[in-house]
Amino acid sequence: MSPEQKKFIKKIKINKIKIWLCQILIIILFLGMWEFFVNKGIISSFIYSSPSRIIKTVIELINNHNFFIHIFVTLKEVIIAFILGITLGFIIALILYEFKFLAKVMDPFLTMLNSLPKVALGPLIIIICGANSKSVIVMALLINLIVSIITIYNGFLCTDEYRLKLFKTMKASKIQTLTMLVIPSSYQTIIASFKLCVAQTLIGVIMGEFLVSKQGLGYLIVYGKQVFNLNYIMTGIVILALISYILYKLIVLLENKLLKHLRD
Amino acid sequence: MNKLLEIKNLTKNYHTIEGECEAIKDFNLEVKNGEIISLVGPSGCGKSTLLSIISGLDKEYTGIINKDSKIKMAYMLQSDALLPWLTIYENALLGLKIKHNMTKENIEYVDYLLDFYNLKDFKNNYPKSLSGGMKQRVALIRTLALKPDILLLDEPFSALDQQSRLIISDDVYKILKKENKTAILVTHNIEEAIIFSDKVVVLSKRPAKIKKIIPIDIANKDSIYERRKDPNFHKYFDNIWKDLDNNES
Ligand SMILES: Nc1ncnc2c1ncn2[C@@H]1O[C@H](COP(=O)(O)OP(=O)(O)O)[C@@H](O)[C@H]1O
Ligand SMILES: [Mg+2]
Repeated sequence: MSPEQKKFIKKIKINKIKIWLCQILIIILFLGMWEFFVNKGIISSFIYSSPSRIIKTVIELINNHNFFIHIFVTLKEVIIAFILGITLGFIIALILYEFKFLAKVMDPFLTMLNSLPKVALGPLIIIICGANSKSVIVMALLINLIVSIITIYNGFLCTDEYRLKLFKTMKASKIQTLTMLVIPSSYQTIIASFKLCVAQTLIGVIMGEFLVSKQGLGYLIVYGKQVFNLNYIMTGIVILALISYILYKLIVLLENKLLKHLRD
Repeated sequence: MNKLLEIKNLTKNYHTIEGECEAIKDFNLEVKNGEIISLVGPSGCGKSTLLSIISGLDKEYTGIINKDSKIKMAYMLQSDALLPWLTIYENALLGLKIKHNMTKENIEYVDYLLDFYNLKDFKNNYPKSLSGGMKQRVALIRTLALKPDILLLDEPFSALDQQSRLIISDDVYKILKKENKTAILVTHNIEEAIIFSDKVVVLSKRPAKIKKIIPIDIANKDSIYERRKDPNFHKYFDNIWKDLDNNES
């Protein structure tokens, strides 16, 4: 390695560390100021809680209220709704891609469903599925499914026309064209749809829990409101933020593993 | 030389919402075994359509196409159309895999071609690490692997820079001649048409009609560089240039 190259690599590494440091600094500053302002009484500890209160609340919840069960219930609902959403989304997108006529017929209905505020369906879902976890999953599925279908389907449509023509000239079967060309071509879009889907699923699950549940982080937040303990609300929000970050990072990890060779 | 393909009174209209579009009108052509024929004509005149019909991809036309049902055709397109998630080797074998034809003999032939074109060391690389010219060479190997009787080349070099274009077209010319392949080459480039072909077919503006068929009589069959030096080259060039519809906007 030439000295210039070494210098270049070093510069990139230092830059990475700098970004890290800044991010940590922001978190420390944010938490510190939050704690400070609450302690000095500049903002209300009752409404805004504080980092130390949140830690205390977490410990209290663990000891007295089965905190992990709440987290576990929410995570379970998120994971089930997510997996159902991407699997069904993928299958329906494939069907629409293979049957263009059906896709044209379904187009206005999909658009309508996509723009409908799904929370309006909440009461209906509760009546059909009952006030339980099933309703929460259905709610989340309604929200994430349409987005998954539309993004994955559009990914399939973007398959390179020369490559499609190549497969045609080689007399590839429909299945071959799908499995060897259309689906691999869409890996990137599919992963992107995972990211969208995670976000949508979290929205759906929390919304569902607001409406029906007796457990979960959404329930904890609603419960906090009912008993006027805003520490519960803040704790719920913080844990949710952590969960969504971790799920997002997991997908990025998967992305890096799968897409190594894909960039043209 | 025996006839491989005969096209008689071929006419093709495209139907779209905007209206009917005549793409090919009353087209007649004979292709003999071992012959290389170039089609030149203004862009949009119907050349790609013609190849699609010849290859059997497009079955909506009127007229007669006589060919032996055993004849195998393979395409080479303007874009290399390599699949970025497959290695060079897997890309070269793609056609064989699709046709369930991965015999030992065929795979050995691909190995030989990769070796011949100095791509052996890149076998396990991915396409993104190759230059445009090298990628087009892989596309050529993928096409040749199918051992076609007729190669259909639709502006295969037009996306390449000048230098790669010369190198790759010389590669293609040599292999066509060495294996005594029959080929139909679509090109915008008059020089390319002359140095490649036994016959140049000059097409009119859309709908494609034959304006003139110019036999090219250049004795040298070794390389396109040598063929370019032929004393008659400029005569052919002028001849084709005059006949092309150059009066478009
Ligand atoms: N699928 C299609 N539907 C309707 N018109 C088409 C279609 N494909 C090609 N055309 C029209 O037919 C004409 C010939 O096209 P093409 O064969 O691609 O020309 P070339 O290859 O000579 O540039 C063009 O005017 C083009 O717009
Ligand atoms: Mg064309």
